[in-house]
Amino acid sequence: MSVLLETHDLQAGYGRKQVVFDLNMKVNSGEIVAIFGHNGSGKSTSMRSILGVLPPLGGTVTYDGQDTTNNSSGTNVRGGMALIPSERFVFQDLSVTDNLLLGGANDPDEARRKARQQLVYELFPILKEREEQLAGTMSGGQQRMVSLGIALMSNPKLLILDEPSLGLAPSVVEQIFGVVRDLVASEGLSVILLEQNVGQALKIADRGYVMRSGRIIIEETIEQMKARDSFWDFF
Amino acid sequence: MQIWINYLDQILIYASLALSLNLLLGYAGQVSVAHAAFGAVGGYTLGYLVTAHNVPMIYCILIGFVFAFVAGGLIALVAMRLSTEYLILLTLAWGYVLIGVFSTIPALGGSFGIISINAKPHLLSFFGWSMQRPTDWLVPILVLVAVTYSICWRLGESPFGRILKGVREDPVATQSLGKNTFRTQILVFAVSSGLAAVAGVFYSGWLGVSTPGVFGFTFSLTIFALVIFGGMANFSGSMLGALVLTSLDPFLRRVVKFDQSKAFLVQVIIYGLLLVFLTRVRPQGLIPEGSTLGSILRRKRSEGRTEMGKASETAPTFAVREAVAEVSQVDRHARWEKAEVVLEARGISKSFGGIIAAENLDFVLKRGTITALVGPNGAGKTTVFNLLTGAIAPDTGTVTLLGRDVTGRTLDSSARSGLVRSFQDVRLFQRLSCLDNVLLGVQDQPGEKIRSLFANPRLVTVKEKETHEQAMKWLSFVGMQDFADVPTASLSYGQTKLVSLARVLATEAEVLLLDEPASGIDVKWVDNMLELVLAISAEGRTVCIVEHNLRVVRDLADHSYFMELGRITAEGTVDELTSSPRLAQAYFGTV
Amino acid sequence: MLAITIGREIFAQLTMNGIFRGASYGLIGAGFALILGVTGRFHFAYGFTYTLAAYLAYTFHFRGTPFGPFSDGFPFIVSGILAILFTIVVGVAIEKYIYRPIAQGAGATALLAVFVAALGIGIAGQSTIALLWSQQSQGFYDKDQIVKKSAWHIWKVTFENLDVFQFVTSLTLIVIFSVVLTKTSLGRQMKATRVNPDLATIIGINANRIYLVCFGIGSGFVAVSAIWYGLQYTVNPDMGARPVTTAFVVAFLAGTASSPIRIFMTGIVLSLLEQWSSMFIQTRWTQTLVFVVLFVYLINKSAKDTLWGKRIISIVTLQGIRG
Repeated sequence: MSVLLETHDLQAGYGRKQVVFDLNMKVNSGEIVAIFGHNGSGKSTSMRSILGVLPPLGGTVTYDGQDTTNNSSGTNVRGGMALIPSERFVFQDLSVTDNLLLGGANDPDEARRKARQQLVYELFPILKEREEQLAGTMSGGQQRMVSLGIALMSNPKLLILDEPSLGLAPSVVEQIFGVVRDLVASEGLSVILLEQNVGQALKIADRGYVMRSGRIIIEETIEQMKARDSFWDFF
Repeated sequence: MQIWINYLDQILIYASLALSLNLLLGYAGQVSVAHAAFGAVGGYTLGYLVTAHNVPMIYCILIGFVFAFVAGGLIALVAMRLSTEYLILLTLAWGYVLIGVFSTIPALGGSFGIISINAKPHLLSFFGWSMQRPTDWLVPILVLVAVTYSICWRLGESPFGRILKGVREDPVATQSLGKNTFRTQILVFAVSSGLAAVAGVFYSGWLGVSTPGVFGFTFSLTIFALVIFGGMANFSGSMLGALVLTSLDPFLRRVVKFDQSKAFLVQVIIYGLLLVFLTRVRPQGLIPEGSTLGSILRRKRSEGRTEMGKASETAPTFAVREAVAEVSQVDRHARWEKAEVVLEARGISKSFGGIIAAENLDFVLKRGTITALVGPNGAGKTTVFNLLTGAIAPDTGTVTLLGRDVTGRTLDSSARSGLVRSFQDVRLFQRLSCLDNVLLGVQDQPGEKIRSLFANPRLVTVKEKETHEQAMKWLSFVGMQDFADVPTASLSYGQTKLVSLARVLATEAEVLLLDEPASGIDVKWVDNMLELVLAISAEGRTVCIVEHNLRVVRDLADHSYFMELGRITAEGTVDELTSSPRLAQAYFGTV
Repeated sequence: MLAITIGREIFAQLTMNGIFRGASYGLIGAGFALILGVTGRFHFAYGFTYTLAAYLAYTFHFRGTPFGPFSDGFPFIVSGILAILFTIVVGVAIEKYIYRPIAQGAGATALLAVFVAALGIGIAGQSTIALLWSQQSQGFYDKDQIVKKSAWHIWKVTFENLDVFQFVTSLTLIVIFSVVLTKTSLGRQMKATRVNPDLATIIGINANRIYLVCFGIGSGFVAVSAIWYGLQYTVNPDMGARPVTTAFVVAFLAGTASSPIRIFMTGIVLSLLEQWSSMFIQTRWTQTLVFVVLFVYLINKSAKDTLWGKRIISIVTLQGIRG
């Protein structure tokens, strides 16, 4: 198993406010890694720093063999990273089609874009039905599907999902997680899953980290995590 | 000699306009490009009343002031909830409308204006001092500047002025501290406009004309430039700015020997380039807020700034209260059971469209205890704070504070009733010092009312001293007393959380709602924060916290409510909650 | 004053005037709405770029280069194109070298800082033009006689051929712009940046590049309008004030999220109101009418927030155009 992503003593934050301290984590190819932790523990901030929307305050990020620490988000997206944020994850005033096409904007290959769009429609048929509908008028679960579609359109190797289950009914969550697991199996996708819904995440993850107050406090395999009798320590 | 006095007259009139605009723009942060239009109200009042009705100037001053005061207040009323772009557009439009109206009414001379004010010099006099020649104007204009400066200074450098600055930095945070920002915004617009009109009266009197050209948009922009150049929220800066910039024209004409129109154009070009240059390089202007000319010349920097780098790493020093012993959860809960109910919420519900944000919430907050709201993301915890403090009005239900119904009161009204909240994103007033931030928390300051400022100055001074002592007390409580004069923008995040706590403590409100007091700060500092919150409740205050970090909740809470999807589904100690399998499932899903 | 004696001819004439004028308001308004909506900059120097375009076209055509084959002036069409290109470059440069560094340095007070800088550029620029060219109005016309003014009549209504050309170019640009927004990747990216700037960056859209494109488009629109205005009326240093201020009003009334066609229509409606009102009130008041309309709109907007939705004050974000 090769290492796809690795951070070394990553420091991250907003201006004066450092939120993430000495982050050392890695993701292997074809792996699903879950990161747990309470709100404000620094999970989202770490991911944004890795993606390049937020310049890191220190440390390094290595992705696909390259040092991507100071890359812009555009460069990293073209390199195969994709992030789906926890809120405001669609362009609400634009149609489903426009949302998807935007996801594919960084891919110059027209044929590949069309193929990806087909794939997204196969995974989520309802999106094809409601192509022209404004994304903001769809239900929470459907918007999540659109957001996943946007990410898949950019042909990602590393998919970062920030609280994908937030506000969704359990059945919808199962459906979405099922899609994610299948994609990992069929496309060799690697996934980082930031979650509060420990139960669902443990069903598909291979390894897990727990963050608190900006630092990693636990690093275990899924079997080790499943063996715990309570998860209150995660929060 | 006459010529130089003329220039001085002009500089002084411009200065008085800059002063009144600075109060509005620099202190209160209201971006108005209509200042000259309000000046026109005064100028035209003089022009019309003098030429058509033989009214002496002194009455024109009063009448002009009143007209502009009312007009300014109305503008503020319309601009109240609109963001800055809209205010700019509104004042832009207002200026055009006003000048447009003036230049079309025949009685006001149409597009030519009123040009014969000087024909009745006997009306242009004060208490026998008649202004026949330009040199006669110098003394009255000096009086104008002195009075304008005094009024603006009294309003700006006072508790009222602090509220202005609060409105400038963060109106919602200011409201949450119990200040009526609504009334304040209207007042400052009204006063500023009224003062502009008074200056306008003098300007027209001195010029002998009141025309659309004199008070056009370019004039508004010129005054705007003077304020920005001189320094926002700095009155001596405005004086200096007026002196320097208004002297450009005579300088260009007499020293560089440009002709009149060329000098004017070059002057405007210099103004424009200066504005661009300043915003890029020195946005705070010639004399920044809080500085004096002397301090600039001596290049003194505010203490603590150079030491900031080191200081922000060390934890603050504060008195450790030994009353906070390690008490077990069970004992804490028993104490909670017996405590007096301070706040009671019954049947609170709220929905937005079809989404239920809160459903039938029943809970109590008790004196001397810490209650926690816990639950997964999206459970509605912050919504509860919003509903309690009036940011959102509940659909049904009541909130009672020590027997009084406080349901659905506005944010500032709730705060004055004794129900105050802190914000998850802190929301300190960035450009203000730590002390100023905390000062804004203190309630019942007579200096916040304009009437008291002018009618009862001694009371204001005495109370201000008390207010300072109180604020320092709370700043010391959280251990930030050494940073009293440091602008909060320079602080580290953990330090801002401490100052924010001091600010809500200064309100001395019965009930404190703390939104994630320990979030986002490094582990080393969390314990400090916890000790402080425990100390507060030990003093007898009623505290409620929203926290996602369960360690923090376990250490702090005497009683917890568990929320899911807008409903309270369980309550008790944290241990009780975490040992419930059903709750575990709600929090992390089925494993 | 509303009398049956006001003939249908006058009404028709006013309507015609309104439609032609409104096309220009709509085009400039659409440009400003694009800039404000996507970048959040209150581009107060917009009027300066308007005036600059007209002067450049005039100068290229009448003065040309100091020496060489074009020392008598460039051909008319070439002058126009050159003027438009130059204006686009200036507009883009203002964003790249002035607004952007200021906004990055200003943080929370970015809107005010950029506005002040825009103000500075605007007044300095306008005065520079007056200094370099003179305060007098210049007569601008086509020396090559390709575009020659002529009056046309349809059933007692008079207008110029230039009116029609201006209307057609404005409408064409609006339609092309509309198509770009809805059908091209660039257009989608512009809309995305406006609707959800955070997500736009996350999916790899280069916001800075998008901002430059918006300024380019807006400046191009304003240049086209200015050249027509210059041909029809006059070229003088103050020419930018009224059309651009009216365009501000159009942009705010329609809303920066509106489609270009809708903004265009708003411009025409506003212009029609302006023209028709002269049937009821004296002409000198119609100038102010545009702002009265704005006032009514703003009062209504403010009242809506206060009376009907009084308590819905979001603690997280303040209201405003950018949402």
